[in-house]
Amino acid sequence: MSKGNASKAKTGWWTHDRKDAFKGYILIFPAILLLTIFTVYPIFYLIDSSLRDGSLLSKKRNFIGLENFITLFKSVDFHTTLKNTIIYSIGLVIILMVLATLFAVWVNGKAQKHLNSVTLAAVFTPHIISLVSVSTVFLWIMDPQIGAINYVLRSIGMKPFPFLASSKTALASLVGMMVWKSLGYYSLLILAALQGVPKEIYEAAEIDDTPKIRTFFRITLPMISPTLFFTTIVATISSFQVFETVNLMTQGGPVNSTNTLVYQIYSDAFKYLKLGPATAEAVVLLGLVGILTILYFVFLGKKVHYQ
Amino acid sequence: MSSITLKNIHKAYGKEIIIPDLNFTIEDGSFTVLVGPSGCGKSTTLRMIAGLEKPTSGEIFIDDENVVDVDPGKRGIAMVFQNYALYPTMSVKDNIEFGLKNKKVPKEEREQLIKDVSEVVGLTPYLSRKPSELSGGQRQRVALARAMVKKPKVFLMDEPLSNLDAKLRQQMRVELIELHKRLGTTFIYVTHDQVEAMSMGDNIILMDKGIIMQRSSPKEMYHNPQNAYTAQFIGTPPMNIVDDMVPEIKVGFRPEKTSLIDPGESLLNISGRVITKEQLGAEMNYSIETAYGKVMVKTEDDIEGEACRLYVKEEHVFAFAKDGKRIEVTAEIKNAIRNLEKGA
Repeated sequence: MSKGNASKAKTGWWTHDRKDAFKGYILIFPAILLLTIFTVYPIFYLIDSSLRDGSLLSKKRNFIGLENFITLFKSVDFHTTLKNTIIYSIGLVIILMVLATLFAVWVNGKAQKHLNSVTLAAVFTPHIISLVSVSTVFLWIMDPQIGAINYVLRSIGMKPFPFLASSKTALASLVGMMVWKSLGYYSLLILAALQGVPKEIYEAAEIDDTPKIRTFFRITLPMISPTLFFTTIVATISSFQVFETVNLMTQGGPVNSTNTLVYQIYSDAFKYLKLGPATAEAVVLLGLVGILTILYFVFLGKKVHYQ
Repeated sequence: MSSITLKNIHKAYGKEIIIPDLNFTIEDGSFTVLVGPSGCGKSTTLRMIAGLEKPTSGEIFIDDENVVDVDPGKRGIAMVFQNYALYPTMSVKDNIEFGLKNKKVPKEEREQLIKDVSEVVGLTPYLSRKPSELSGGQRQRVALARAMVKKPKVFLMDEPLSNLDAKLRQQMRVELIELHKRLGTTFIYVTHDQVEAMSMGDNIILMDKGIIMQRSSPKEMYHNPQNAYTAQFIGTPPMNIVDDMVPEIKVGFRPEKTSLIDPGESLLNISGRVITKEQLGAEMNYSIETAYGKVMVKTEDDIEGEACRLYVKEEHVFAFAKDGKRIEVTAEIKNAIRNLEKGA
């Protein structure tokens, strides 16, 4: 604003633009304050804590640089934990996305509308049951001796499956249970995307004599790619944070075969009170999820068609 | 190039009958327009020819083949949709190429076909763009190109111009007529707009409630309507049809064939009162209250004041029976009309 105008308005510096901006800052201040206290500060506290020794009970914790991280990466157990977490996540996300997409496409089909909605409701129900209840129930269902699945297997003359009792099958069993629990939720999101695809496009494809498989890969998948991209990221982040099932069903065993990052963070911090290593692990988790998300954007983002 | 025949087509959704019994043949190479109000079954008919809907019963022939059980992609047809139905995730080129790839056309031939067709519709500079980056008119051209490139036996168009603005619609109308002349392929065009139907088709099928009301050339449709429905559907404003002039007979006369200044030798000659007068340019639309109800008059006759007289020449008077069927204007009817105000 020129000086002539400003002098008349009494306040030279306090222009309308500045006034509007100030109002804006006032309005977002509460949100920024809360974010700072509950998100930004804890992240910096976490990083700071990962660079110190001592435990939750120590009065003063000394700065030791990257020593916690060095110890972590030298530890064979931590390698196993990392490996478990990554296998669990990749396995879960791939199986979940493929099954949820197929299931949603099936439910979205023209035939058997009533049956379809009943099926969808049935598959969605596990999502609204608490994970603790589900874990407890599955602990029984998958019990090698008295479990329901093995009862069925034995009764039809097959060998019982060890499930959580064997280090070879425990992690896969956890993945299987989570697929059962989350399938409905992701299917529902993908189904919503499928229903947003205009039906004329499918009709045009029909008139273009497009084979069904090609219609699926060249039309359906690209049309729902924004939703698939979003659900893949959400599923990845949540699978990296797997904790309740491990804690309730396996406590990381047998022989560390289901020990995952968050469970190890919990054990180190609250069982062994080793705050330094626990926070270092948390920083690793943060970094991993961050890097993965960036990778998704770099590699998958290009394939996503926003309208 | 192909002819299309519908035999005893019946279509119902559950208990709701859309088309009771439809029969017609569309000649090879003609430009046929299916026109009618919404819900008259014209789109359903088109979609049944395309194979997107199955008739409840009846047969559809393309040339001599009954195609009722043939998939849409195998019928040798192409369709242009009202909202274009382009593949949004593909470029213009991929959109045009998609059907060719399905038909396993070799790459070189595909390239040549795309090049040719995009020149015809003027899309060459836009081949790498996505549909979302094009204007409505350009999208319409992509839809046309996608249909043309397959060299179909029949072109089906479902209200293809209704999403365009008035000026562009006018332009595309002309382009479609030219396109039909150049390709010589059978065109079937669905619209609810009588102006579009009259200006484009060489053959119009007017439908109402799944029944063909009249089928004829545009000229015949206007000058020789077979029933009151056709007479009132074609023409703006619609034909005036009044009940009380002659007992048991409906008398019709077109607003644009009515004068407000005595032209001499008029058969119909009645008094009226001007209610509204819209200036359209050279012409005016009058809404006039008469002893036989409200009628419209479209004329260049510029009159002042409320009181007026309406004049219609003998050749412009139509007569319809109570059920709407066109009947001859007999000497008896003529006399009754001529003596309308004399007896009163």
